[in-house]
Amino acid sequence: MDGPTLRNLTDPKFGKPSKRQNILLQQLGAPHVSSFNYMVNKGLHDAVADIVPVEFSLPNNDRVCLRVEEVSLNCPLVPLGTIGVRNQRIFPSECRQRAATYKGKLGARISWSVNNGHPVYFDKDMGDIPIMIKSNRCHLNFMSPKDLIANGEHEQEWGGYFIIKGHERLVRMLLMTRRNYPIAIKRSGWKTRGALFSDIGLLIRCVQEDQTARTNTLHFVTDGTAKLMFGHNKLLYYAPVVLIMKCLCNYADQYIYKRLVEGYEDDLYYIDCIKNMLRIVHEQHLHSHDECKSYLGKMFRVKFLECPEWKTDAEVTDFILKHCILIHLNSNEDKFNMLVFMTQKLFVFAQDKCKVEGADAVMMQELLLGGHLYLQVVKERLQVWLSNLRLNLLKRARANVGFILDQKEMSNAAKFAGGLEIVMEKFLATGHIYSDTGLGLMQDNGLTIIAENINRMRYMSHFRSVHRGAFFQEMRTTEARQLLPDAWGFICPVHTPDGAPCGLLNHLTMNCIVTDIPDENKRNNIPSVLTELGMLPIKNIQNTEVNVKDCYIAQLDGNVIGYVQDSIVSQLVEGLRLLKIKGEVVPDTMEIVLVPKKKVPGQFPGLFLFTGPARMMRPLNNLVANQIEYIGTFEQLYMDICITPEESYKGVTTHMEIGKTAFLSNLAQLIPMPDCNQSPRNMYQCQMGKQTMGTPCHTWPTQAETKMYRLQTPATPLFRPVHYDDIGLDEFPMGTNAIVAVISYTGYDMEDAMIINKSSYERGFAHGSVYKSEFVQLDHISSYFCRDPTQPTLVDSLDTDGFPYHGKLMKNGDPLYCYYSADQSRFFVVKFKSKEDCYIDNVRLCGNFGTKIKPLACIMFRVPRNPTVGDKFASRAGQKGICSQKWPAEDLPFTETGLVPDIVFNPHGFPSRMTIAMMIEVMAGKSAALHGLVHDASPFKFNEESTAIDYFGRLLEAGGYNYYGTETMYSGIDGREMKAQIFFGIVHYQRLRHMVSDKWQVRSTGPTDMLTRQPLGGRKRGGGVRFGEMERDSLISHGTSFLLQDRLLHCSDRTTAFICTSCKTLLGPITMVKRMADKPNMSETKETCKLCGHGENVVEIQIPYIFKFFVTQLASVNINVKIECQQT
Amino acid sequence: MSSDSKETAKTPMVYICGECHSENEIRPRDPIRCRECGYRIMYKKRTKRLIVFDAR
Repeated sequence: MDGPTLRNLTDPKFGKPSKRQNILLQQLGAPHVSSFNYMVNKGLHDAVADIVPVEFSLPNNDRVCLRVEEVSLNCPLVPLGTIGVRNQRIFPSECRQRAATYKGKLGARISWSVNNGHPVYFDKDMGDIPIMIKSNRCHLNFMSPKDLIANGEHEQEWGGYFIIKGHERLVRMLLMTRRNYPIAIKRSGWKTRGALFSDIGLLIRCVQEDQTARTNTLHFVTDGTAKLMFGHNKLLYYAPVVLIMKCLCNYADQYIYKRLVEGYEDDLYYIDCIKNMLRIVHEQHLHSHDECKSYLGKMFRVKFLECPEWKTDAEVTDFILKHCILIHLNSNEDKFNMLVFMTQKLFVFAQDKCKVEGADAVMMQELLLGGHLYLQVVKERLQVWLSNLRLNLLKRARANVGFILDQKEMSNAAKFAGGLEIVMEKFLATGHIYSDTGLGLMQDNGLTIIAENINRMRYMSHFRSVHRGAFFQEMRTTEARQLLPDAWGFICPVHTPDGAPCGLLNHLTMNCIVTDIPDENKRNNIPSVLTELGMLPIKNIQNTEVNVKDCYIAQLDGNVIGYVQDSIVSQLVEGLRLLKIKGEVVPDTMEIVLVPKKKVPGQFPGLFLFTGPARMMRPLNNLVANQIEYIGTFEQLYMDICITPEESYKGVTTHMEIGKTAFLSNLAQLIPMPDCNQSPRNMYQCQMGKQTMGTPCHTWPTQAETKMYRLQTPATPLFRPVHYDDIGLDEFPMGTNAIVAVISYTGYDMEDAMIINKSSYERGFAHGSVYKSEFVQLDHISSYFCRDPTQPTLVDSLDTDGFPYHGKLMKNGDPLYCYYSADQSRFFVVKFKSKEDCYIDNVRLCGNFGTKIKPLACIMFRVPRNPTVGDKFASRAGQKGICSQKWPAEDLPFTETGLVPDIVFNPHGFPSRMTIAMMIEVMAGKSAALHGLVHDASPFKFNEESTAIDYFGRLLEAGGYNYYGTETMYSGIDGREMKAQIFFGIVHYQRLRHMVSDKWQVRSTGPTDMLTRQPLGGRKRGGGVRFGEMERDSLISHGTSFLLQDRLLHCSDRTTAFICTSCKTLLGPITMVKRMADKPNMSETKETCKLCGHGENVVEIQIPYIFKFFVTQLASVNINVKIECQQT
Repeated sequence: MSSDSKETAKTPMVYICGECHSENEIRPRDPIRCRECGYRIMYKKRTKRLIVFDAR
């Protein structure tokens, strides 16, 4: 689209759903959905094949082997045997409405065999597990907009989230270390990993076919050796790298030496180190391949309980090599080659001949996708299930003498082994994983988030947000938060929150895509294509006379495949790039990284190819082929990219940006003219845009969100970027166009306060409401909702079903619902408790499948929330303000044409904030309204030669207004003309969701803490605002000691206590109760001191209760407190 | 029925099915299910009571 239009107002197709969905919006859910689809199509199969079979022996020495053979995931369906249901499919909207989980059946085929005999198969229902919306197991997949609407969804639904207990939850995209590439890192923490360990190492995050990830680190030890770290069940182990090499392949030491020093023949230190490392292994009396293997297995088998006792040590070593070391490679030769490369790189790095890479740069990162994480959790839970099955079988076998394993016993044991339904739902509901292996993650918390739908902007931004990980949130250093240059085009520089998550929670740019699994055939073509282009395959390199030193190593997804001679490497890369753009022979999402050799130390050179999923890529214009090419974060580093054609250098520049705004995220592209603002103002607008009241959805009657904000009178902005139209934001508008006068007029608009015209307010300006829904579940399955027939007073407020009628005004204390409790055999009336009056919007009864269900109902309230003093508003330039007055229209200034402002904005807001875009908007909005236009507010449209001010100024002039947008105004109080010309125009204002009604807090007396007797904190509990240390200091410095005493003693925990002035103790005095001498039926009390035995010196004093508490606590640790008293 | 109170307790309320929009009469102890299509969410029908708010 060229510019924003208002044509949709007169479009004959208005109100009819389009044929196809908006591609830009579909991209929001794409990474999530495609990763889930991968899981269903291929991942589950691969993961099940990788599950370690559980082998154990029964008491009668029968060896049993349990395997998961196959699993299948079904669409959400009504359970079999439910009668009278016309539509067997369950749709997401139903789950949202009745707070259910959108889930489908997971079936598994288990096999078991005894003593390696014929396996016996049986099927097991693993329970229902959550299904991602719009995945290929969701009924909404491939639905047209029209059908989507018919099923209670939005026209542009993009899916990608789960519905858990009615809430939309999304697996958060986390930035992970790039897979299958050894990164040179310096980490001071590594020094503590063992004796002589240095801070230098190579970290490789290996990800195998089914997305299982394990990290290996090759550490440089300061005695000139290298140790390989591998992890198992969250524990880390270290082994000499040469030992691992010798275990991997049965090669002679001479060959290993030759391979290791290949190309480094003149590096004497390195050669020395290698010789030394080879020697050390021999000093341990480990000479041959087999000796090494049995040694490693012997050392580690106690930690690898997966291997049954009858496995030999060598077999245990095979297990370790397969599951813990470079797991992305299948063959041991490949692992050996990779270890050779890593050792070479490590020693080059240790000698400072190549630069540190660091894991914080975007070039070394990829994403963790929802489907991939989900698959890992499923895989791990299946493994746990298998071991549960083993425990159950062993329990049964030990309990019964003469136990014979047959299918009946097996089914019985399987019945009690649990399922995946609860754990998967819990994982998504809490974002917490309970895992033995840790799944290769840095965190086990905060993995999922709620996709809050406060408005469209907020909702959209959740799907593009990437987090660096909870681990970095606690780090004091700012390294992980920095915006590095290589993030250009992938991570939006504007859209990150300020405060604690700043720089850690980022958003992908609009054009950034996340790669999916590549086509397998195309990926397999790559080695042969490379060979055709001149690469020397690693197998043949020994037979050629090429010196490896004059070659680039070629790696495909962390697998060494060959060498490319220096002379032909750029030619080869060019040829490969053209094939990649075509995407017929090789995948078009391949990343071709040529790290060039340089005279000065740079990144370790080589040709690295990546085809894997979850990488960030973005489209660019390839100037050679004149076609779109997707480039990755790592390869961008070595590319010459221009933004406009004028910038390109012939022969150097190879790529050009698609648009000038391509580096901005979805939300940053919605800011009007961000190039005219001071940069932090754009960040503020990204935050405030997400807190605006607007139109979050079109399905109000069927909503069940706990809280939703609705703006009653939204309008489309008259000055907006094209992106606004591109993503169809007019369907979900937020904010209103306000006539703004920039004038200091009332004195009530100091310090970011603003005045609203009272008459505009009365006409509906920024009116809004909050929808709240409340689910009510009864205590017992036989309880039911019903109005208590014995209470005739209820008739006025409740219907016979025990619920209030639609549209009823609810006040605090009104009956909300009434039910019969089967548990206690009587009726209960539940009262409505809220400080605010509201209306009943609707009432819905929620059924469920099965017979043993507690009755569930949902009541939706509508709370009117029209603007009041104290509500927050903001323009789209990060200029927020609090409404301080609703000023009568007759007292506000007016223009010559009789126009009165809706909002009075204080001019002092401009100088320090420098939000020129808002000033331009005043003029642009005015001219747009004047001429019936809508103006384009995309950035970089204007420049110093043709300024925006000039453009809009001339438009204003053409409409008969002042060029600068100012007008003569008259005082509303006395009608005199003002000397100053007032800047006057139209600005799109957003009403933010922070409203005083949710925040006011007041207390004189109220609830206190049980232990300390001090007032409680917190608005919900009726507590007060803390009068803290700094406030105390302020009163002290003012010398207002009575005020201080009032706040800190009388209004807090004042208490009277008895003190014995002779013993100087609070603890001595006790109260004696005695019968009165003359009246035996009455008693009197007398205070005496237990310590001195009489009460002569006991007096009553006023102290804070907490002091008494403190003295008692000290007494418990044998400390006496003596208090000197003085009579005043 | 003998007592008046029992009579009112059993008066069915009209609910509208969330899927096929047919009107169902549901008594307090009935299962929540549309008689027409078996759907599980029932919406309470708008009241015929006169709702007047004092505009003072």
